[in-house]
Amino acid sequence: MGFTFLNTAFLFTAFAALLPLIIHMISRRRVDTIDFSSIRFLKQLERKRIRRVRIRQILLLIIRSLILLFAALAIARPTLRGAFEGGVSTHARTSVAIVIDDSASMSRRANGGVLLDEAVATGRAIARLLSGGDEAFLLTASSPTGIVVRDGTFSPDVLADELDGLGSTEAGTDYRRAVATALEYLGASRNLNRELYVVGDMQQSGWEREVGPSAEMSSETGRPGEIAGDDVRVYLIPVTGPTGNCAVTSVRLERRYGGTPGMYAVVAEMRNLAARSCEIPVRLFVDGIQVGQTGVTMDAGGGGSAVFSTAVDVNEWHSGWVEIPADVLDVDNRRYFVIHPEERIEVLVVRSDGAPQSGGRVGAPEGSGRVGAPEGGGRVGVPEGSGRVGVFDDAYYIERALDPTHSGVRFRPVMLTTAALAHQEQGRFPVVVLADIDRLDDAGERWVERHLSGGGGVLAVLGGGTDIRYWNTELLPLLAGGSILAPVERRSGVRLAPVSTGHPLLAGLVFGDRLIDEVAVRKAFQVEIDGADEIMELPGIGPAMVATTPPAGGVTAFLYTGIDPVWSDIPRSGLLVPLLHRIAGRLAEPAARDLNCLIGGDLVVPYDPSHAGAPVVLLPDGGEESATRLGGPRGGASLRVVNHTGIYRFMENGELRAMGAVNLQAEESELVAVSGAEMVGLLDPLEVNVVEPGAGLGGVILVARHGRELWRTFVYIALALLALEMYVARPRFAR
Amino acid sequence: MSEDSYRRFLDPKVVSKLATMELRARLVVEGFVTGLHRSPYKGFSVEFAEHRQYMPGDPLKHIDWKVFGKTDRFYIKEYEEETNLRGYVLLDASASMGYGADRITKLEYGSYLAAALIYLMLKQQDAAGLLVFDERIREFIPPRSNPRQLHMLLSELDKTEASSSTGIGEVLHELAKRMKRRGLVILISDLLDDPDTVIPGLKHFRHMKHEVIVFHVLDPREVEFRFEADATFRDMETGEMMTTEPLAIRGDYLAAVSEWTARLRRECAESRIDYVQVMTSTPYDRALFSYLEKRKRMG
Repeated sequence: MGFTFLNTAFLFTAFAALLPLIIHMISRRRVDTIDFSSIRFLKQLERKRIRRVRIRQILLLIIRSLILLFAALAIARPTLRGAFEGGVSTHARTSVAIVIDDSASMSRRANGGVLLDEAVATGRAIARLLSGGDEAFLLTASSPTGIVVRDGTFSPDVLADELDGLGSTEAGTDYRRAVATALEYLGASRNLNRELYVVGDMQQSGWEREVGPSAEMSSETGRPGEIAGDDVRVYLIPVTGPTGNCAVTSVRLERRYGGTPGMYAVVAEMRNLAARSCEIPVRLFVDGIQVGQTGVTMDAGGGGSAVFSTAVDVNEWHSGWVEIPADVLDVDNRRYFVIHPEERIEVLVVRSDGAPQSGGRVGAPEGSGRVGAPEGGGRVGVPEGSGRVGVFDDAYYIERALDPTHSGVRFRPVMLTTAALAHQEQGRFPVVVLADIDRLDDAGERWVERHLSGGGGVLAVLGGGTDIRYWNTELLPLLAGGSILAPVERRSGVRLAPVSTGHPLLAGLVFGDRLIDEVAVRKAFQVEIDGADEIMELPGIGPAMVATTPPAGGVTAFLYTGIDPVWSDIPRSGLLVPLLHRIAGRLAEPAARDLNCLIGGDLVVPYDPSHAGAPVVLLPDGGEESATRLGGPRGGASLRVVNHTGIYRFMENGELRAMGAVNLQAEESELVAVSGAEMVGLLDPLEVNVVEPGAGLGGVILVARHGRELWRTFVYIALALLALEMYVARPRFAR
Repeated sequence: MSEDSYRRFLDPKVVSKLATMELRARLVVEGFVTGLHRSPYKGFSVEFAEHRQYMPGDPLKHIDWKVFGKTDRFYIKEYEEETNLRGYVLLDASASMGYGADRITKLEYGSYLAAALIYLMLKQQDAAGLLVFDERIREFIPPRSNPRQLHMLLSELDKTEASSSTGIGEVLHELAKRMKRRGLVILISDLLDDPDTVIPGLKHFRHMKHEVIVFHVLDPREVEFRFEADATFRDMETGEMMTTEPLAIRGDYLAAVSEWTARLRRECAESRIDYVQVMTSTPYDRALFSYLEKRKRMG
């Protein structure tokens, strides 16, 4: 706590407190002498009354001096510095970082405008409290953090113009990143008085991202990356608006299995984030034309889904969106998607090294009804002493199942060994099947990683060739995470069963609670993969088939038993062909190949590498940009950090080559704000001031910056002293 | 001179403007007596005879037989009565009596009052004497009723000035010892002395069978203490000084004065001494009334 004055120039007026003393001294000298008949009565009073009079005179003298003193000090604007003092003097220059939330949620309607307008107005109010010599930085809290004013030299006009130029984006919110960046700027500031203002709707989801070391911001500022937040005053200034909101949170395309290519089910998920239930129409648009409408009823805080069926031409790009009526936040009322149904899907089937090179068809051994294998391990499907590998291995059955007639109408499998994988054209094969491979070389691993990050699908079949140690340390983390345990063997076999009879991959393949064909599995791996979508299981052992989303992107599916007669009866069953077709089809879904991305991400679309130049991308807002050069780290054509929702068209020489859809992050629709009490601990260990709406921002800031002004208190004290003076000095000749 | 013209000579301010003490005394008394015609008071006068109906118990020698002869009724005639009253006027001339905030000092007021009383007494054929004192007897003129007495007393009053301190008690005791014949003692003083000495002195007269009237002369400012600004007060008798805040102590001062006068009044009443408090602004008729009341009671 410290005590100081804002108008020290007026402190000299405190000498006015000496006036009563001076007057008293002068008046003592000038007192008249009166001849009086006798002072015997005065002398009687001297001992008691006159002593009291002297005390009263002294008391009055003190009171009058204090009145003038307090009045003079009130003019000098006394202030009491609080816990934030930090030894900074009253006139120290101030560095201010203003973080304005311009995320999608700030575009919600409020008070005749949008919420961002209020945030900008608050920012301008903060700017007005600055003066020449102060520093000001302006950042935005949408993801990624925008640094609007990075040159800290404060200019009211520049700052005001930049604030006025802010518009609500469709990006998600990342308060922590913005705060970390702002703290870095403030940490490098030369001023001792540092303040950080975060103005926004304090959306809960905006605070949930963890922030690591902000090296990139340090590189941007060119200054040391040390975050010196302990001497920064942090203010969270919530601007509040309506929270009732409905949103389309996802659109999923599901191929109508067994139907004609181009037949899709469009599944839209909606959420009602309002406090009361609602019934709203949901409409589907494909290629700009409304092709379906349905109604959805949602409880308060609940969700609903709408399913549309649609058919589009194969081998052509199509776009569409699902739309609900306008509400407080419009940007989440429409969700986009693109479709590119391919008539034929090329599948790369990879088998372990030593097998025949890709392109060569592996024929079945003549006259052999079954695949021989050594009991107790070793390579499966390798005839003893044959010297050849993989004649009847998993890859063989998979290739046959994908294209039983060698017509290549729906799937065209290409067989190769692990050693040849790295030489394959990236992006050509939507689906890669790792058919009981033991391991991949480094180049192969990188190829698979790029394949996944490009939105590709991978089916991993585990069998006798699986090198458990390698998979657990190298390949499984790439594909899904988790670990493979020891293989389990049941000589009598365990019947393969569906986990959920309603799973789309098993549609038509389930009768009652069983599969249409009984499939016995004799050997299988127990695998632990967190968060995987379990499709089939082996009762008493565990999951047998799962699908998941790997860290790098794309989709992976795992079959924990080998597709050969030694491990299971899958090759003999009528399940093999339809199951593999569905899995391959699912892995090759356009959605799985990252044709859609979220705001702030990188939009990557498959692109024919034979084309020479980078395509021009037509943006949804009417602009255009050049896509990143083809064949980049993720394959295909990519556009970095997309900022607008909608359909992006990748054009080359006037011809459409690819499309991509960008949508809002679903959490932006959740408009629930962090409560005031929670805000205080949001940036722990930084001490946070929460300025509630209507709390008088200017006053709060000035109090924190300069201390609590006490001039009113001083005036009240002076008035109280004046009243006391009038009481003490009142005439007393009532008797 | 009309009655109203005489009445104004009862105002101390007016009287103080007159040239000589004799004139002052005469006009005061004339004004006072003129006023009596309208009053119910039937005082006695050497010039005035009153008849009243005889009542059983009245001395027969007072019956006016001439009236009886004319009216066949008994009336009492009182004018022929003679007096042998010896009046002593004691005038305090100490320094405190020189205080007068409003033109006329207490000593002046007391002098004029003394002169009027002396004039009245001598006019009634009473013997009048004068004693001027401060801490001691400054001048003493024994009572006589001859015509030259008036001039002598008034001359003495005319030249009296306030000085020295007060010693009322000792003076009263000393005079009481001197007075051989029973008489009327009229004390004109501000009594600014220790009441424990003043009261015994007065009681001494009573002990000697004298009648006593005390005219306690005070200035209005002494009673009301209306001083505004802080001031240093200098005692006119001792020269002692004291600085104080009048506004602040006024209440206590008034209480002390009130207690002091109340004690004097109470002690006088207990000793059957007439106590008359007069301000220097009080018209003289009040004092003269008091004297006449007393004179009447004395027969």
